[in-house]
Amino acid sequence: MYHVNNLSEIGKILVDNLNRYYMPFPVDKKVCSGWAKDLPRGGDTIIYTSCMYQIEPAVGMFLKLLPSISSFKGLMPLARLVKPSKSQLDRAYKILNNIVKALEKSGIKPGYLYEEEPYSGAILLEMGFLEEFREYAKKVVSLFKEKGAKKIITVDPHTHNALTRYQEFVKHDLEIVNYLELVNYTKKVEGEFTIHDSCLYSRFLGLREKYRGLIEKSGIKLVEDEMITGKDTSSCCGGPLGPVDLKVSEKIAENRAKDLEKLSKRLLVVCPICYVTLLPHFKGEIMDIAEVIF
Amino acid sequence: MLSWDIAVNRAINNAVPKVYKVLSEHPYVEELAKRLREAKLEVLNNLEKYVEETLQSVKNNGGNAYYVHDEKEAQEIVGKIVGKGKIVVMGKSMVAYELGIRKYLESLGNEVWETDLGEFLIQQANEPPSHIIAPAIHMTKESVGKLLKEKLGGVDENSKVEDMVAVVRKFLRDKFVKADVGITGANAIAADTGSVLLVENEGNIRFTTVAPQIHIAIAGVEKILPTLADAMIEPLVQSAYAGLYPPTYVNLTSGPSSTADIEHNRVRPAHGPKEFHLILVDNGRVKANKDSVLREALLCIRCGRCHFHCPIYRAIGNIWGDPPYSGPMGAMWSYIVKGDAKPAMYCVHSGNCKEVCPMRINIPRVLEHIKNLGLHSQTKM
Ligand code: SF4
Repeated sequence: MYHVNNLSEIGKILVDNLNRYYMPFPVDKKVCSGWAKDLPRGGDTIIYTSCMYQIEPAVGMFLKLLPSISSFKGLMPLARLVKPSKSQLDRAYKILNNIVKALEKSGIKPGYLYEEEPYSGAILLEMGFLEEFREYAKKVVSLFKEKGAKKIITVDPHTHNALTRYQEFVKHDLEIVNYLELVNYTKKVEGEFTIHDSCLYSRFLGLREKYRGLIEKSGIKLVEDEMITGKDTSSCCGGPLGPVDLKVSEKIAENRAKDLEKLSKRLLVVCPICYVTLLPHFKGEIMDIAEVIF
Repeated sequence: MLSWDIAVNRAINNAVPKVYKVLSEHPYVEELAKRLREAKLEVLNNLEKYVEETLQSVKNNGGNAYYVHDEKEAQEIVGKIVGKGKIVVMGKSMVAYELGIRKYLESLGNEVWETDLGEFLIQQANEPPSHIIAPAIHMTKESVGKLLKEKLGGVDENSKVEDMVAVVRKFLRDKFVKADVGITGANAIAADTGSVLLVENEGNIRFTTVAPQIHIAIAGVEKILPTLADAMIEPLVQSAYAGLYPPTYVNLTSGPSSTADIEHNRVRPAHGPKEFHLILVDNGRVKANKDSVLREALLCIRCGRCHFHCPIYRAIGNIWGDPPYSGPMGAMWSYIVKGDAKPAMYCVHSGNCKEVCPMRINIPRVLEHIKNLGLHSQTKM
């Protein structure tokens, strides 16, 4: 039932793209930066999207191509055709703008690097390309320095995890902070939801209680079950396994969606990868918390 | 639903709450687990010294002790001790499986029986084990009934579990009585006394270690603990984190059977085995111990708790990893003993395993390291 993709080949392609575009896939940088209109360019404190919310809805197309990657010498032009739809982008842009609004309400006015913003390298780290990740992390750190950034505000768990781990690979004095540590809820919301935790926020980065606190303060009632949404029991969505084996990744998503459906037909997520991975399997409504409580 | 999904969901729903209950009712177990980790690290930091001490202690007790580097050496020694045309009973041993001991002894013309119920079932079905302490977890009650109907008779797919167990009990009792050699693993080995600790519920290990005239214990070097006091902790911690607490039996064996009933003179043998052999196994462990990240995997006590919290195991478990090593611990151990990095590639770093591991092994970090090694070398992928 399981068949691992040709990972060395995939690694080479990722590194090649990162070296050329600071992105793992060839992406039109305007897709990444289109959400920000009036944020100052650069500055001490920047919001850092790593293009995750923007591009994630289109990544599924790449994943489908990956098993046959070695036979595609011309993957680049193909990849260029893969673009999130207008409605997917509108949703991503709204989420990012909501996060900025919440930061501003907390007195933080971040800058942004627009199309100069690099990708974090998370995919290399998560696939186990540690040496390649080290090299790439060095490049990103010098780019941040060059742009004068001192404090980086991340907005998704994979980027936050990659950046907090840079220190193990390259010495730097950048301050890495996640937006959840800086904001309060800005909207009162009523109703019941269940929650799918981000593995990284919940079990590696110590942010589980932060977002649960915000959700509950906003008025939302979370429907929980120790065997499904407990810290030790809540399963991964399966998304990070996509580049390795899409079939198994989907099977995990299917299992996860089935469990969550038992609790509620309305689901909150805190990660763009979880959203995209669970969407085809969850029978109900899925929302990012940044769409709901800000 | 596929039969694996049904079987694993049943097992998770049974096992996971049981462990939480055991830990809340016996809070000292967590303290013992911490102490066990420290004691195991002490051995790993001075492995050579403790291997020497263990070998000597076993000899002091009148036993035989060997150190083997690989599968071939292990098979040769076991083959020499057992010989040909014997009846051998085995108490579940992952290391014996790792080294192909059963198949090898069969090839020499011996009759070999697994005596752990789960292991017996997979021997009968000729399938690999799917969980470190519950090897037949992939089989539903119905499929077990069907298998036993074919192999032993007396039950079928609609029979009660109690009746299925009774059929196997009757069959194996005869083998225990007739067996020439008993082979087991070891949950822990005390370096200072050469004692072997074994934890179980069925009573098959007791039978295996006492009824035949020869007892062979096979274990990885990572099972050594500095003292008997440390070694005694392991069965408690292992059974608690497996959700099977208190364990029904804990067996301690220090050399061949003995008596001191005449003038308080300790002489061997008495009623139990005349011969005791301990085979300490390297097979990749010593190399792993030299790598500061991989070393963590050697702390694993095989409680199998990580399996039940792992989304990958739940999705593909019974075929994920190199038998007998499945699940998150198996993804580490497949690399240590087989050089196979492929199972590690499947880690989604959900992190549940590290949360529940009694030995506090940061399994996702070990697997990340294995991924990197696998991607940058010519190891099996
Ligand atoms: S890795 Fe930890 S949880 Fe898993 S079997 Fe080993 S000791 Fe138990």
